Amino acid sequence: MRGSNGNAFFKGKKPLPAENPAPGAAEKYTLGTGMIQVLMTLAALLFAAPVFIILNYSFKTVRELYLSNPLALPESFQLGNYISAFKKLDLLTTFTNTFIYTAVTVVVLVMLCGASSWAIARCKNRFFKFSYIYFLLGIFIPHQALFLQIYMIGFRTGLINTRLGVILMYIATGMSFGVFLMTSFMTTVPVELEEAAKIDGCSVYRTYFFIVLPLLKPAIATLTILQAFQIWNDYLMASLFISSQELRTLTLAMQMLFSQQSSDYTTAMAAIIISVLPVAILFISMQKYFVKGMTVGALKG
Amino acid sequence: MRRKSFNRREKLQYLSLVLPGLLLFTIGLILPMFLSFSYSLTSWDGMSAAKPFIGFKNYARFFTDPFAGQAWIFTFKFTFWNTIIQNVFALLFAIALNSAIKGKKIYRTVFFIPCLISAIIVGFIWLRMFINILPALNRFLGTNINFLLFGSGKTVLAGLLLANNWQWIGYWMLIYLAALQSIPGELYEAANIDGATTLGKFRHITIPLLAPAFTICIVGITTGSLKVYELLVTSTWGGPGRASTSIIYYIYNTAISGRQYGYGSAMSIVLVLVLFLVALVQLGFLRKKEVQL
Repeated sequence: MRGSNGNAFFKGKKPLPAENPAPGAAEKYTLGTGMIQVLMTLAALLFAAPVFIILNYSFKTVRELYLSNPLALPESFQLGNYISAFKKLDLLTTFTNTFIYTAVTVVVLVMLCGASSWAIARCKNRFFKFSYIYFLLGIFIPHQALFLQIYMIGFRTGLINTRLGVILMYIATGMSFGVFLMTSFMTTVPVELEEAAKIDGCSVYRTYFFIVLPLLKPAIATLTILQAFQIWNDYLMASLFISSQELRTLTLAMQMLFSQQSSDYTTAMAAIIISVLPVAILFISMQKYFVKGMTVGALKG
Repeated sequence: MRRKSFNRREKLQYLSLVLPGLLLFTIGLILPMFLSFSYSLTSWDGMSAAKPFIGFKNYARFFTDPFAGQAWIFTFKFTFWNTIIQNVFALLFAIALNSAIKGKKIYRTVFFIPCLISAIIVGFIWLRMFINILPALNRFLGTNINFLLFGSGKTVLAGLLLANNWQWIGYWMLIYLAALQSIPGELYEAANIDGATTLGKFRHITIPLLAPAFTICIVGITTGSLKVYELLVTSTWGGPGRASTSIIYYIYNTAISGRQYGYGSAMSIVLVLVLFLVALVQLGFLRKKEVQL
Protein backbone atom coordinates (compact mmCIF):
# COMPACT_ATOMS: atom_id res chain seq x y z
CA MET A 1 0.00 0.00 0.00
CA ARG A 2 2.63 2.41 1.06
CA GLY A 3 4.74 1.68 -1.95
CA SER A 4 1.91 2.26 -4.39
CA ASN A 5 0.99 5.50 -2.70
CA GLY A 6 4.54 6.65 -3.04
CA ASN A 7 4.57 5.86 -6.72
CA ALA A 8 1.33 7.70 -7.31
CA PHE A 9 2.77 10.69 -5.55
CA PHE A 10 5.79 10.79 -7.76
CA LYS A 11 3.87 10.20 -11.00
CA GLY A 12 2.68 13.77 -11.28
CA LYS A 13 6.15 15.17 -10.82
CA LYS A 14 8.70 15.49 -13.52
CA PRO A 15 11.56 13.03 -13.08
CA LEU A 16 14.55 14.27 -11.19
CA PRO A 17 17.60 14.91 -13.32
CA ALA A 18 20.23 12.21 -13.06
CA GLU A 19 22.66 14.70 -11.62
CA ASN A 20 21.73 17.38 -9.18
CA PRO A 21 24.11 20.12 -10.17
CA ALA A 22 25.13 22.77 -7.71
CA PRO A 23 23.86 26.21 -8.66
CA GLY A 24 26.46 27.69 -10.88
CA ALA A 25 28.01 24.39 -11.79
CA ALA A 26 25.91 24.42 -14.92
CA GLU A 27 27.06 27.95 -15.74
CA LYS A 28 29.55 28.47 -18.51
CA TYR A 29 32.95 29.99 -18.12
CA THR A 30 32.21 33.62 -18.92
CA LEU A 31 33.94 36.95 -18.51
CA GLY A 32 32.40 37.25 -15.06
CA THR A 33 33.72 33.87 -14.01
CA GLY A 34 37.12 34.84 -15.34
CA MET A 35 37.11 37.93 -13.15
CA ILE A 36 36.14 35.85 -10.12
CA GLN A 37 38.99 33.50 -10.98
CA VAL A 38 41.47 36.39 -10.99
CA LEU A 39 40.18 37.81 -7.70
CA MET A 40 40.23 34.41 -6.00
CA THR A 41 43.76 33.76 -7.23
CA LEU A 42 44.86 37.03 -5.69
CA ALA A 43 43.11 36.17 -2.41
CA ALA A 44 44.65 32.69 -2.42
CA LEU A 45 48.13 34.13 -3.00
CA LEU A 46 47.68 36.49 -0.04
CA PHE A 47 46.45 33.60 2.11
CA ALA A 48 49.34 31.36 1.15
CA ALA A 49 52.01 34.08 1.40
CA PRO A 50 52.75 33.69 5.14
CA VAL A 51 53.31 29.96 4.68
CA PHE A 52 55.74 30.48 1.82
CA ILE A 53 57.57 33.21 3.71
CA ILE A 54 57.95 30.90 6.72
CA LEU A 55 59.14 28.08 4.51
CA ASN A 56 61.69 30.39 2.89
CA TYR A 57 62.97 31.69 6.23
CA SER A 58 63.21 28.22 7.70
CA PHE A 59 66.14 27.53 5.35
CA LYS A 60 67.97 30.78 5.96
CA THR A 61 70.88 31.33 8.30
CA VAL A 62 70.85 34.01 10.98
CA ARG A 63 73.29 36.06 8.91
CA GLU A 64 70.98 36.01 5.91
CA LEU A 65 68.07 36.92 8.14
CA TYR A 66 69.45 40.39 8.71
CA LEU A 67 71.56 41.04 5.63
CA SER A 68 69.84 39.66 2.57
CA ASN A 69 66.72 40.70 0.69
CA PRO A 70 63.65 39.37 2.55
CA LEU A 71 62.10 37.93 -0.58
CA ALA A 72 65.26 36.29 -1.89
CA LEU A 73 65.62 32.56 -1.68
CA PRO A 74 68.21 31.29 0.81
CA GLU A 75 71.80 31.12 -0.49
CA SER A 76 71.87 27.41 0.19
CA PHE A 77 69.04 25.28 1.51
CA GLN A 78 70.35 24.32 4.90
CA LEU A 79 68.65 21.90 7.20
CA GLY A 80 70.39 23.29 10.27
CA ASN A 81 67.27 25.05 11.49
CA TYR A 82 65.25 21.86 11.20
CA ILE A 83 67.79 19.86 13.16
CA SER A 84 67.91 22.43 15.95
CA ALA A 85 64.10 22.74 15.97
CA PHE A 86 63.82 18.97 16.19
CA LYS A 87 66.03 19.00 19.29
CA LYS A 88 64.54 22.08 20.92
CA LEU A 89 61.00 20.83 20.51
CA ASP A 90 62.06 17.48 21.93
CA LEU A 91 60.03 16.26 19.01
CA LEU A 92 59.96 12.53 19.67
CA THR A 93 58.54 13.02 23.15
CA THR A 94 56.17 15.89 22.44
CA PHE A 95 54.83 14.34 19.27
CA THR A 96 54.25 10.99 20.99
CA ASN A 97 52.53 12.69 23.93
CA THR A 98 50.24 14.74 21.73
CA PHE A 99 49.43 11.64 19.72
CA ILE A 100 48.61 9.59 22.83
CA TYR A 101 46.38 12.30 24.31
CA THR A 102 44.54 12.77 21.04
CA ALA A 103 44.14 9.12 20.12
CA VAL A 104 43.06 7.84 23.54
CA THR A 105 40.65 10.73 24.05
CA VAL A 106 39.04 10.29 20.66
CA VAL A 107 38.61 6.51 21.00
CA VAL A 108 37.12 6.70 24.50
CA LEU A 109 35.01 9.71 23.58
CA VAL A 110 33.54 7.94 20.57
CA MET A 111 32.68 4.88 22.70
CA LEU A 112 31.12 6.90 25.50
CA CYS A 113 29.23 9.30 23.26
CA GLY A 114 27.95 6.44 21.13
CA ALA A 115 26.83 4.47 24.19
CA SER A 116 25.17 7.46 25.86
CA SER A 117 23.43 8.57 22.67
CA TRP A 118 22.17 5.10 21.92
CA ALA A 119 20.77 4.66 25.42
CA ILE A 120 19.16 8.09 25.20
CA ALA A 121 17.66 7.37 21.77
CA ARG A 122 16.27 3.94 22.73
CA CYS A 123 15.11 4.45 26.31
CA LYS A 124 12.58 7.19 26.28
CA ASN A 125 11.87 7.52 29.99
CA ARG A 126 12.32 10.66 32.01
CA PHE A 127 15.82 9.92 33.21
CA PHE A 128 17.21 9.58 29.72
CA LYS A 129 15.39 12.65 28.45
CA PHE A 130 16.84 14.58 31.35
CA SER A 131 20.32 13.20 30.59
CA TYR A 132 20.09 14.48 27.04
CA ILE A 133 19.21 18.03 28.10
CA TYR A 134 21.85 17.85 30.81
CA PHE A 135 24.51 16.95 28.25
CA LEU A 136 23.35 19.73 25.94
CA LEU A 137 23.97 22.28 28.69
CA GLY A 138 27.66 21.70 28.10
CA ILE A 139 27.44 23.18 24.61
CA PHE A 140 26.45 26.45 26.22
CA ILE A 141 29.00 26.25 29.03
CA PRO A 142 32.36 26.78 27.37
CA HIS A 143 35.09 24.93 29.26
CA GLN A 144 37.55 27.72 28.41
CA ALA A 145 35.60 29.98 30.74
CA LEU A 146 35.93 27.50 33.62
CA PHE A 147 39.60 26.65 33.31
CA LEU A 148 40.39 27.76 36.88
CA GLN A 149 37.95 25.34 38.45
CA ILE A 150 38.80 22.51 36.10
CA TYR A 151 42.41 23.01 37.20
CA MET A 152 41.28 23.03 40.85
CA ILE A 153 39.48 19.70 40.44
CA GLY A 154 42.54 18.25 38.75
CA PHE A 155 44.62 19.52 41.65
CA ARG A 156 42.35 18.04 44.33
CA THR A 157 42.17 14.66 42.66
CA GLY A 158 45.93 14.56 42.11
CA LEU A 159 45.50 14.39 38.35
CA ILE A 160 47.68 17.40 37.57
CA ASN A 161 50.78 16.36 35.64
CA THR A 162 49.43 12.96 34.72
CA ARG A 163 48.47 11.57 31.33
CA LEU A 164 45.19 10.30 32.76
CA GLY A 165 44.27 13.78 34.01
CA VAL A 166 44.69 15.43 30.62
CA ILE A 167 42.76 12.69 28.87
CA LEU A 168 39.88 12.64 31.37
CA MET A 169 39.54 16.40 31.09
CA TYR A 170 39.42 16.31 27.30
CA ILE A 171 36.79 13.57 27.43
CA ALA A 172 34.66 15.45 29.96
CA THR A 173 34.69 18.65 27.92
CA GLY A 174 34.05 16.81 24.65
CA MET A 175 31.01 14.81 25.78
CA SER A 176 28.38 17.44 25.07
CA PHE A 177 29.04 17.99 21.41
CA GLY A 178 29.59 14.28 20.83
CA VAL A 179 26.28 13.30 22.42
CA PHE A 180 24.48 16.02 20.49
CA LEU A 181 25.98 14.94 17.16
CA MET A 182 25.42 11.23 17.71
CA THR A 183 21.90 11.52 19.08
CA SER A 184 20.79 13.48 16.03
CA PHE A 185 22.47 10.83 13.87
CA MET A 186 20.82 7.97 15.80
CA THR A 187 17.46 8.60 14.12
CA THR A 188 18.95 7.27 10.89
CA VAL A 189 19.96 3.97 12.51
CA PRO A 190 17.29 1.28 11.94
CA VAL A 191 15.84 -0.27 15.09
CA GLU A 192 14.97 -3.53 13.26
CA LEU A 193 18.56 -4.77 13.28
CA GLU A 194 18.80 -4.30 17.03
CA GLU A 195 15.48 -6.07 17.58
CA ALA A 196 16.63 -8.97 15.46
CA ALA A 197 19.83 -9.16 17.50
CA LYS A 198 17.81 -9.12 20.70
CA ILE A 199 15.63 -12.02 19.53
CA ASP A 200 18.80 -13.93 18.74
CA GLY A 201 19.79 -13.46 22.35
CA CYS A 202 22.29 -10.66 22.01
CA SER A 203 22.93 -8.70 25.21
CA VAL A 204 22.69 -4.92 25.28
CA TYR A 205 26.48 -4.58 25.30
CA ARG A 206 27.02 -7.02 22.45
CA THR A 207 24.35 -5.25 20.42
CA TYR A 208 26.04 -1.92 21.03
CA PHE A 209 29.52 -3.08 20.04
CA PHE A 210 28.65 -5.33 17.12
CA ILE A 211 25.46 -3.84 15.68
CA VAL A 212 25.18 -0.17 16.64
CA LEU A 213 28.79 1.05 16.57
CA PRO A 214 29.41 -0.12 12.99
CA LEU A 215 26.25 1.69 11.86
CA LEU A 216 27.49 4.93 13.40
CA LYS A 217 30.50 5.18 11.10
CA PRO A 218 29.69 8.57 9.51
CA ALA A 219 29.02 10.17 12.88
CA ILE A 220 32.15 8.57 14.33
CA ALA A 221 34.26 9.94 11.47
CA THR A 222 32.86 13.42 11.98
CA LEU A 223 33.38 13.40 15.73
CA THR A 224 36.91 12.00 15.34
CA ILE A 225 37.93 14.72 12.92
CA LEU A 226 36.43 17.59 14.89
CA GLN A 227 37.74 16.44 18.27
CA ALA A 228 41.16 15.32 17.05
CA PHE A 229 42.03 18.76 15.73
CA GLN A 230 40.74 20.53 18.77
CA ILE A 231 42.84 18.35 21.09
CA TRP A 232 45.89 18.36 18.83
CA ASN A 233 45.92 22.16 18.81
CA ASP A 234 44.83 22.75 22.40
CA TYR A 235 46.97 24.98 24.53
CA LEU A 236 45.02 26.45 27.48
CA MET A 237 44.01 23.16 29.13
CA ALA A 238 47.31 21.43 28.42
CA SER A 239 49.21 24.36 29.93
CA LEU A 240 47.11 24.13 33.09
CA PHE A 241 47.49 20.38 33.53
CA ILE A 242 51.05 19.79 32.42
CA SER A 243 54.29 21.31 33.57
CA SER A 244 56.63 18.33 33.39
CA GLN A 245 59.01 18.04 30.44
CA GLU A 246 58.19 14.38 29.71
CA LEU A 247 54.44 14.92 29.48
CA ARG A 248 54.21 18.16 27.53
CA THR A 249 52.54 18.46 24.16
CA LEU A 250 53.71 19.88 20.88
CA THR A 251 51.88 23.19 21.37
CA LEU A 252 53.42 23.60 24.83
CA ALA A 253 56.86 22.98 23.39
CA MET A 254 56.15 25.42 20.57
CA GLN A 255 55.13 28.11 23.03
CA MET A 256 58.37 27.60 24.98
CA LEU A 257 60.43 27.75 21.83
CA PHE A 258 58.71 30.92 20.62
CA SER A 259 59.46 32.74 23.85
CA GLN A 260 63.15 31.76 23.60
CA GLN A 261 63.75 32.44 19.91
CA SER A 262 62.97 36.11 19.55
CA SER A 263 66.10 37.23 17.71
CA ASP A 264 67.00 34.02 15.87
CA TYR A 265 63.57 33.13 14.65
CA THR A 266 64.77 30.88 11.82
CA THR A 267 64.65 27.88 14.17
CA ALA A 268 61.11 28.82 15.16
CA MET A 269 60.17 29.01 11.48
CA ALA A 270 61.49 25.50 10.92
CA ALA A 271 59.57 24.36 14.00
CA ILE A 272 56.36 25.81 12.55
CA ILE A 273 56.88 23.89 9.32
CA ILE A 274 57.61 20.68 11.24
CA SER A 275 54.47 21.01 13.35
CA VAL A 276 52.16 22.00 10.51
CA LEU A 277 53.40 19.50 7.93
CA PRO A 278 51.80 16.31 9.33
CA VAL A 279 48.46 18.04 9.76
CA ALA A 280 48.56 19.57 6.29
CA ILE A 281 49.50 16.24 4.68
CA LEU A 282 46.72 14.49 6.57
CA PHE A 283 44.23 17.09 5.41
CA ILE A 284 45.30 17.07 1.77
CA SER A 285 45.36 13.29 1.51
CA MET A 286 41.99 12.84 3.21
CA GLN A 287 40.37 16.03 1.95
CA LYS A 288 37.23 14.32 0.67
CA TYR A 289 36.26 12.72 4.00
CA PHE A 290 37.60 15.59 5.96
CA VAL A 291 35.56 18.30 4.29
CA LYS A 292 32.47 16.12 4.52
CA GLY A 293 33.03 15.47 8.22
CA MET A 294 33.72 19.10 9.02
CA THR A 295 30.61 20.36 7.29
CA VAL A 296 28.31 17.61 8.53
CA GLY A 297 29.47 18.15 12.09
CA ALA A 298 29.10 21.88 11.91
CA LEU A 299 25.75 21.84 10.17
CA LYS A 300 24.40 19.52 12.82
CA GLY A 301 25.98 21.51 15.63
CA MET B 1 6.92 -11.71 35.70
CA ARG B 2 9.92 -13.03 33.87
CA ARG B 3 9.56 -10.52 31.07
CA LYS B 4 9.36 -7.66 33.50
CA SER B 5 12.58 -8.62 35.26
CA PHE B 6 14.28 -8.98 31.91
CA ASN B 7 13.22 -5.48 30.96
CA ARG B 8 14.52 -4.18 34.19
CA ARG B 9 17.85 -5.81 33.67
CA GLU B 10 17.93 -4.36 30.23
CA LYS B 11 17.15 -0.92 31.53
CA LEU B 12 19.98 -1.22 34.01
CA GLN B 13 22.26 -2.16 31.16
CA TYR B 14 21.20 0.89 29.20
CA LEU B 15 21.74 2.93 32.32
CA SER B 16 25.26 1.58 32.61
CA LEU B 17 25.90 2.80 29.07
CA VAL B 18 24.99 6.37 29.87
CA LEU B 19 26.46 6.58 33.37
CA PRO B 20 30.22 6.76 32.70
CA GLY B 21 29.80 9.65 30.30
CA LEU B 22 27.35 11.37 32.58
CA LEU B 23 29.69 11.05 35.54
CA LEU B 24 32.75 12.37 33.73
CA PHE B 25 30.77 15.22 32.25
CA THR B 26 29.42 16.16 35.68
CA ILE B 27 32.83 16.15 37.32
CA GLY B 28 34.59 17.87 34.44
CA LEU B 29 32.11 20.59 33.57
CA ILE B 30 29.08 20.89 35.85
CA LEU B 31 31.00 20.63 39.11
CA PRO B 32 33.42 23.39 38.03
CA MET B 33 30.40 25.63 37.47
CA PHE B 34 29.22 25.17 41.05
CA LEU B 35 32.75 25.39 42.44
CA SER B 36 33.26 28.56 40.48
CA PHE B 37 30.17 30.08 42.01
CA SER B 38 31.12 29.12 45.55
CA TYR B 39 34.67 30.46 45.15
CA SER B 40 33.33 33.64 43.60
CA LEU B 41 31.79 34.53 46.96
CA THR B 42 35.16 34.39 48.73
CA SER B 43 38.38 36.36 48.65
CA TRP B 44 40.42 33.18 48.33
CA ASP B 45 43.94 33.55 46.90
CA GLY B 46 43.94 30.04 45.45
CA MET B 47 46.67 28.76 47.78
CA SER B 48 45.92 29.22 51.48
CA ALA B 49 43.49 27.13 53.50
CA ALA B 50 41.34 30.12 54.47
CA LYS B 51 38.56 31.06 52.09
CA PRO B 52 37.04 34.19 53.64
CA PHE B 53 33.42 34.61 52.65
CA ILE B 54 32.72 38.09 51.27
CA GLY B 55 29.33 37.69 49.61
CA PHE B 56 28.82 39.39 46.27
CA LYS B 57 31.69 41.85 46.72
CA ASN B 58 33.65 40.29 43.87
CA TYR B 59 30.76 40.93 41.53
CA ALA B 60 30.41 44.51 42.73
CA ARG B 61 34.14 45.03 42.31
CA PHE B 62 33.90 43.76 38.81
CA PHE B 63 31.72 46.71 37.79
CA THR B 64 34.19 49.26 39.12
CA ASP B 65 37.37 47.55 37.94
CA PRO B 66 38.68 49.67 35.04
CA PHE B 67 40.99 46.89 33.83
CA ALA B 68 38.11 44.43 33.64
CA GLY B 69 36.09 47.04 31.77
CA GLN B 70 38.93 47.48 29.31
CA ALA B 71 39.18 43.71 28.84
CA TRP B 72 35.44 43.45 28.15
CA ILE B 73 35.57 46.33 25.67
CA PHE B 74 38.48 44.77 23.81
CA THR B 75 36.74 41.37 23.76
CA PHE B 76 33.48 42.85 22.47
CA LYS B 77 35.22 44.91 19.77
CA PHE B 78 37.22 41.88 18.67
CA THR B 79 34.05 39.79 18.57
CA PHE B 80 32.01 42.41 16.71
CA TRP B 81 34.54 42.86 13.90
CA ASN B 82 35.28 39.16 13.67
CA THR B 83 31.63 38.32 13.24
CA ILE B 84 31.24 40.82 10.43
CA ILE B 85 34.53 40.25 8.58
CA GLN B 86 34.55 36.48 8.83
CA ASN B 87 30.95 36.07 7.75
CA VAL B 88 31.27 38.44 4.80
CA PHE B 89 34.50 36.96 3.46
CA ALA B 90 33.55 33.36 4.17
CA LEU B 91 30.30 33.83 2.27
CA LEU B 92 31.96 35.69 -0.63
CA PHE B 93 34.65 33.03 -0.96
CA ALA B 94 32.04 30.27 -0.78
CA ILE B 95 29.95 31.88 -3.52
CA ALA B 96 33.05 32.31 -5.68
CA LEU B 97 34.07 28.67 -5.16
CA ASN B 98 30.54 27.60 -6.02
CA SER B 99 30.73 29.30 -9.44
CA ALA B 100 32.23 27.81 -12.59
CA ILE B 101 35.83 28.74 -11.76
CA LYS B 102 38.60 26.20 -12.27
CA GLY B 103 40.78 24.52 -9.65
CA LYS B 104 38.27 24.74 -6.78
CA LYS B 105 40.05 22.12 -4.71
CA ILE B 106 43.28 24.12 -4.73
CA TYR B 107 41.57 27.29 -3.55
CA ARG B 108 39.68 25.36 -0.87
CA THR B 109 42.90 23.81 0.42
CA VAL B 110 44.74 27.15 0.49
CA PHE B 111 41.97 28.88 2.42
CA PHE B 112 41.40 25.97 4.77
CA ILE B 113 44.93 25.06 5.87
CA PRO B 114 45.42 28.00 8.31
CA CYS B 115 42.57 26.73 10.50
CA LEU B 116 44.41 23.45 11.05
CA ILE B 117 47.25 25.37 12.68
CA SER B 118 47.16 25.91 16.43
CA ALA B 119 46.26 29.49 17.45
CA ILE B 120 49.51 29.55 19.44
CA ILE B 121 51.44 29.16 16.19
CA VAL B 122 49.21 31.60 14.29
CA GLY B 123 49.92 34.26 16.91
CA PHE B 124 53.66 33.79 16.56
CA ILE B 125 53.51 33.76 12.75
CA TRP B 126 51.85 37.17 12.67
CA LEU B 127 54.08 38.59 15.37
CA ARG B 128 57.11 37.78 13.22
CA MET B 129 55.35 38.96 10.07
CA PHE B 130 54.68 42.36 11.57
CA ILE B 131 57.98 42.82 13.38
CA ASN B 132 60.58 41.24 11.11
CA ILE B 133 59.30 40.16 7.75
CA LEU B 134 57.01 42.91 6.47
CA PRO B 135 59.29 45.80 7.58
CA ALA B 136 62.07 44.11 5.58
CA LEU B 137 59.73 44.56 2.64
CA ASN B 138 59.90 48.31 3.24
CA ARG B 139 63.67 48.22 2.85
CA PHE B 140 63.30 46.24 -0.32
CA LEU B 141 60.61 48.44 -1.88
CA GLY B 142 61.98 51.70 -0.52
CA THR B 143 58.60 52.48 1.07
CA ASN B 144 57.74 53.47 4.61
CA ILE B 145 54.57 51.55 5.47
CA ASN B 146 53.96 50.97 9.16
CA PHE B 147 53.63 47.22 9.56
CA LEU B 148 54.08 47.19 13.35
CA LEU B 149 50.42 46.59 14.02
CA PHE B 150 51.00 44.93 17.41
CA GLY B 151 53.15 47.84 18.56
CA SER B 152 50.48 50.43 19.20
CA GLY B 153 47.22 50.35 21.11
CA LYS B 154 45.49 51.89 18.12
CA THR B 155 46.42 49.20 15.62
CA VAL B 156 46.71 46.10 17.78
CA LEU B 157 43.06 45.19 17.23
CA ALA B 158 43.51 45.39 13.46
CA GLY B 159 46.59 43.18 13.66
CA LEU B 160 44.82 40.54 15.74
CA LEU B 161 41.78 40.64 13.47
CA LEU B 162 44.06 40.04 10.50
CA ALA B 163 45.69 37.05 12.20
CA ASN B 164 42.44 35.57 13.46
CA ASN B 165 40.58 36.03 10.18
CA TRP B 166 43.47 34.56 8.22
CA GLN B 167 43.08 31.50 10.40
CA TRP B 168 39.30 31.07 10.41
CA ILE B 169 37.77 32.39 7.17
CA GLY B 170 38.48 29.08 5.41
CA TYR B 171 36.64 27.08 8.06
CA TRP B 172 33.42 29.07 7.85
CA MET B 173 33.75 29.25 4.07
CA LEU B 174 33.49 25.48 4.05
CA ILE B 175 30.22 25.56 6.01
CA TYR B 176 28.71 28.12 3.63
CA LEU B 177 29.99 26.12 0.68
CA ALA B 178 28.33 22.94 1.97
CA ALA B 179 25.06 24.83 2.45
CA LEU B 180 25.26 26.36 -1.03
CA GLN B 181 25.86 22.99 -2.61
CA SER B 182 22.83 21.51 -0.89
CA ILE B 183 20.51 23.99 -2.63
CA PRO B 184 18.80 22.07 -5.44
CA GLY B 185 19.65 23.35 -8.91
CA GLU B 186 16.02 23.13 -10.09
CA LEU B 187 15.14 26.11 -7.95
CA TYR B 188 17.50 28.26 -10.00
CA GLU B 189 16.26 26.73 -13.24
CA ALA B 190 12.68 27.55 -12.34
CA ALA B 191 13.71 31.09 -11.45
CA ASN B 192 15.49 31.40 -14.78
CA ILE B 193 12.31 30.41 -16.61
CA ASP B 194 10.45 33.08 -14.64
CA GLY B 195 13.05 35.57 -15.81
CA ALA B 196 14.62 36.29 -12.43
CA THR B 197 17.74 38.46 -12.25
CA THR B 198 20.96 37.24 -10.65
CA LEU B 199 20.39 39.54 -7.70
CA GLY B 200 16.78 38.44 -7.39
CA LYS B 201 17.81 34.80 -7.34
CA PHE B 202 20.38 35.57 -4.68
CA ARG B 203 17.87 37.41 -2.51
CA HIS B 204 14.93 35.07 -2.87
CA ILE B 205 16.60 31.67 -3.20
CA THR B 206 20.17 31.68 -1.95
CA ILE B 207 19.83 33.82 1.18
CA PRO B 208 16.69 32.13 2.58
CA LEU B 209 18.06 28.64 2.00
CA LEU B 210 21.34 29.62 3.65
CA ALA B 211 19.53 30.58 6.86
CA PRO B 212 20.67 27.51 8.86
CA ALA B 213 24.28 28.11 7.79
CA PHE B 214 24.00 31.76 8.84
CA THR B 215 22.83 30.66 12.27
CA ILE B 216 25.74 28.25 12.72
CA CYS B 217 28.39 30.64 11.44
CA ILE B 218 27.19 33.72 13.32
CA VAL B 219 26.77 31.92 16.65
CA GLY B 220 30.01 29.98 16.15
CA ILE B 221 32.12 33.02 15.32
CA THR B 222 30.64 35.16 18.08
CA THR B 223 31.06 32.67 20.90
CA GLY B 224 34.46 31.62 19.58
CA SER B 225 35.71 35.21 19.53
CA LEU B 226 34.45 35.91 23.04
CA LYS B 227 36.76 33.12 24.24
CA VAL B 228 39.90 34.43 22.52
CA TYR B 229 43.02 33.64 24.53
CA GLU B 230 45.57 31.43 22.78
CA LEU B 231 46.19 33.86 19.93
CA LEU B 232 47.32 36.50 22.44
CA VAL B 233 49.75 34.22 24.31
CA THR B 234 52.35 34.30 21.56
CA SER B 235 51.58 37.57 19.80
CA THR B 236 50.73 40.58 21.97
CA TRP B 237 50.73 39.21 25.56
CA GLY B 238 47.63 41.31 26.06
CA GLY B 239 49.53 44.47 25.21
CA PRO B 240 50.74 47.05 24.45
CA GLY B 241 49.74 48.17 27.90
CA ARG B 242 46.43 46.38 28.29
CA ALA B 243 45.14 47.23 24.85
CA SER B 244 44.61 43.65 23.74
CA THR B 245 43.86 41.91 27.03
CA SER B 246 40.87 39.67 26.43
CA ILE B 247 38.58 38.65 29.24
CA ILE B 248 40.00 35.12 29.53
CA TYR B 249 43.51 36.57 29.45
CA TYR B 250 42.54 38.93 32.26
CA ILE B 251 40.98 36.15 34.33
CA TYR B 252 44.14 34.09 33.88
CA ASN B 253 46.39 36.92 35.01
CA THR B 254 44.19 37.94 37.92
CA ALA B 255 43.62 34.46 39.27
CA ILE B 256 46.94 32.76 38.67
CA SER B 257 49.63 35.46 38.65
CA GLY B 258 47.63 37.93 40.74
CA ARG B 259 46.49 35.24 43.22
CA GLN B 260 42.93 36.51 43.31
CA TYR B 261 41.17 33.25 42.77
CA GLY B 262 37.85 34.39 44.17
CA TYR B 263 37.71 37.41 41.92
CA GLY B 264 38.79 35.35 38.91
CA SER B 265 36.00 32.88 39.65
CA ALA B 266 33.44 35.66 39.77
CA MET B 267 34.60 36.89 36.38
CA SER B 268 34.44 33.41 34.88
CA ILE B 269 30.87 33.04 36.13
CA VAL B 270 30.01 36.34 34.44
CA LEU B 271 31.74 35.18 31.26
CA VAL B 272 29.74 31.93 31.24
CA LEU B 273 26.53 33.93 31.66
CA VAL B 274 27.46 36.36 28.87
CA LEU B 275 28.32 33.51 26.50
CA PHE B 276 25.12 31.72 27.41
CA LEU B 277 22.99 34.83 26.85
CA VAL B 278 24.67 35.81 23.59
CA ALA B 279 24.23 32.31 22.17
CA LEU B 280 20.62 32.12 23.35
CA VAL B 281 19.62 35.53 22.00
CA GLN B 282 21.32 34.92 18.66
CA LEU B 283 19.86 31.44 18.35
CA GLY B 284 16.39 32.68 19.21
CA PHE B 285 16.58 35.53 16.73
CA LEU B 286 18.16 33.57 13.88
CA ARG B 287 16.01 30.45 14.30
CA LYS B 288 12.90 32.62 14.09
CA LYS B 289 14.18 33.99 10.79
CA GLU B 290 14.66 30.45 9.56
CA VAL B 291 11.02 29.57 10.26
CA GLN B 292 9.69 32.73 8.66
CA LEU B 293 11.49 32.16 5.38
